[in-house]
Amino acid sequence: MADRTSERKQEWLISAPSMVWLTVLFLAPTLLVFAISFRPSTPFGGVGEGWTLQTIRELANPNYPAIIWRTVWLSLATTVICLGLAVPCAYFMARARARWKPVLLMLVIIPFWTNFLIRIFAWKVLLHPEGLVKKLLLAVGLVEPRDILMYNENAVLLVLVYSYLSFAILPIYAAAEKFDFSLLEAAMDLGATRLRAFLQVFLPGISRGLITAALVVFIPALGSYVIPDLMGGPSGEMIGNKIAQRVFVDRNLPHASALAAVLTLAVVVPMVAVIFLQRQKKPARAKEAGG
Amino acid sequence: MIRKWFIALCCLLPLTGFAQDKVLHIYNWSEYLNPDLITAFEEQYDCRVKQDYFDSNEALYAKLKAGAGGYDLIFPSSYMVSIMAEQGMLQELNHDLIPNLKHIDRSFLKLTEDRDMKYSVQYMVGSTGIGYIDGRVEMDEPSWAIFANEEYAGRMTLLNDMREVIGAALKYLGYSLNTTDEAQLDEAAEVAIAWKKNIAKYESEQYKNGLVSLEFLVSQGYSGDVMQGMEENEDIAYVIPKEGTSLYSDDMAIPVGAENAELAHAFINFLHEPENAASNTDFVWYLCPNTASYEFLSEEVKEDPAVFLDPEVVAKSEVIRDLGEENAKYVKVWDRIKAAQ
Repeated sequence: MADRTSERKQEWLISAPSMVWLTVLFLAPTLLVFAISFRPSTPFGGVGEGWTLQTIRELANPNYPAIIWRTVWLSLATTVICLGLAVPCAYFMARARARWKPVLLMLVIIPFWTNFLIRIFAWKVLLHPEGLVKKLLLAVGLVEPRDILMYNENAVLLVLVYSYLSFAILPIYAAAEKFDFSLLEAAMDLGATRLRAFLQVFLPGISRGLITAALVVFIPALGSYVIPDLMGGPSGEMIGNKIAQRVFVDRNLPHASALAAVLTLAVVVPMVAVIFLQRQKKPARAKEAGG
Repeated sequence: MIRKWFIALCCLLPLTGFAQDKVLHIYNWSEYLNPDLITAFEEQYDCRVKQDYFDSNEALYAKLKAGAGGYDLIFPSSYMVSIMAEQGMLQELNHDLIPNLKHIDRSFLKLTEDRDMKYSVQYMVGSTGIGYIDGRVEMDEPSWAIFANEEYAGRMTLLNDMREVIGAALKYLGYSLNTTDEAQLDEAAEVAIAWKKNIAKYESEQYKNGLVSLEFLVSQGYSGDVMQGMEENEDIAYVIPKEGTSLYSDDMAIPVGAENAELAHAFINFLHEPENAASNTDFVWYLCPNTASYEFLSEEVKEDPAVFLDPEVVAKSEVIRDLGEENAKYVKVWDRIKAAQ
């Protein structure tokens, strides 16, 4: 018993630095943002005295549903496409010969050596209205001379997927690495088709990797600012861009805070849901291991 | 072991070198200052000049208001100078430290609100107009109506600035761009929404590169920016629409809490040294309103009607003024324009 309490103490000690870090640099600022959204704004960009529900009422702005819908839709689509591309990539990486694995892994990581912004600007060069891709598509007859490849939602989606794909591949690869591929052979020996073995044995086997990948893509995608700003057209705003407008153009910090709070809640709720689901799974798995 | 040393060395690297003590921190618009002048100033005053950039007056204001310190000299437009002065964010200037104030061109003082130069000194004056690709775009009679032309749909940009966009629409309709009349603003919103259907995006910075690379064919832009683009692509042309436009003066001011206020005064004076002012005008293609500098300007700049504005254009144009609480009306219209499909 005494052993266990000292173990507990140690656990606390070990996690104390990160707890303090998170409290001071994450929790406190987040709570401040929540608090400011209940403050009145002043015409000169300050935060007024007293408390008000005015800003919360202003969230009923008829222009918001479209922006929120676009943000959620683009983030969900990004997540689904990234997972769809990452699973086969991770599968082949995990099954590759041992000496090829580090090479493949490097190929996934190398793009990070180039600055994120530069990679986005590279897309602008590629999709230029008189650029290479346009000329190729024109030659094949897939686009009209007047079609514009950039500054629309599809371009935003394309670059979002491009930017977050590596973040999806890495956790799925890590899970696939640990997967026992002889289970697939066993499944097929027992009469499962390839597809069924893949869907019912492989995917559940890497479910943790899938969940992590979905979170690390979906959450940052929700908060996108730079990509819709550079690739999106006049109607391409996401919530991140609206928050920036409220801060820089409208000088309305409470309103920006309220939008940021909505975004935080949109991120925290699925997170908590996932943690809850994983907690529920754990006892089941412990039983399996015990039996 | 070697790796450990390597990491340790990397950590120490930033501590070596750059031991000069005085640093002048300036917060400016991008590509708005001849870098040769910075080098010359650094040598003359044995200091370092560090430049950060903002892309709108509002961004500058929001950052300083949120407590961003450490800047010795900022370059807000005149209307922002009056807001900041009113909010007690600017220091009063010591005219004894800026003897070159005597060169300031009085005829452009009407573009600024701080005419006694209590808080600010004019840096550059310019206009908002239309940059376009000559030969690809027909522009017989320059008008804001070009943005309604579907011929160039998807290849045009408007500034990502609510006052400039709504202002252009107001001018097009023949109203003042400082109006607070809601009926006029509603009308302008409709015009701006019609324009929006034809533009690639709202863009305040990249339009210059877009014109150079032919990504964009028509851009609402600031005179100097468009003319800087001409140096890289001679097909670019700049016009001021017949309906009039917005004129502006960007001024230099020293924020409260500046660490090197004296050095900042010296820099203001340095930039208004007639030869320096001329080399700056030649470089940025805006006009530094410094009478004594005009004789040093290159012939090309001297004859350019976009640098030395035509009095007729000035008569039809206005300076954007801050509207205080009435600003909210523009925010509402801007939200509507941005949300329109």
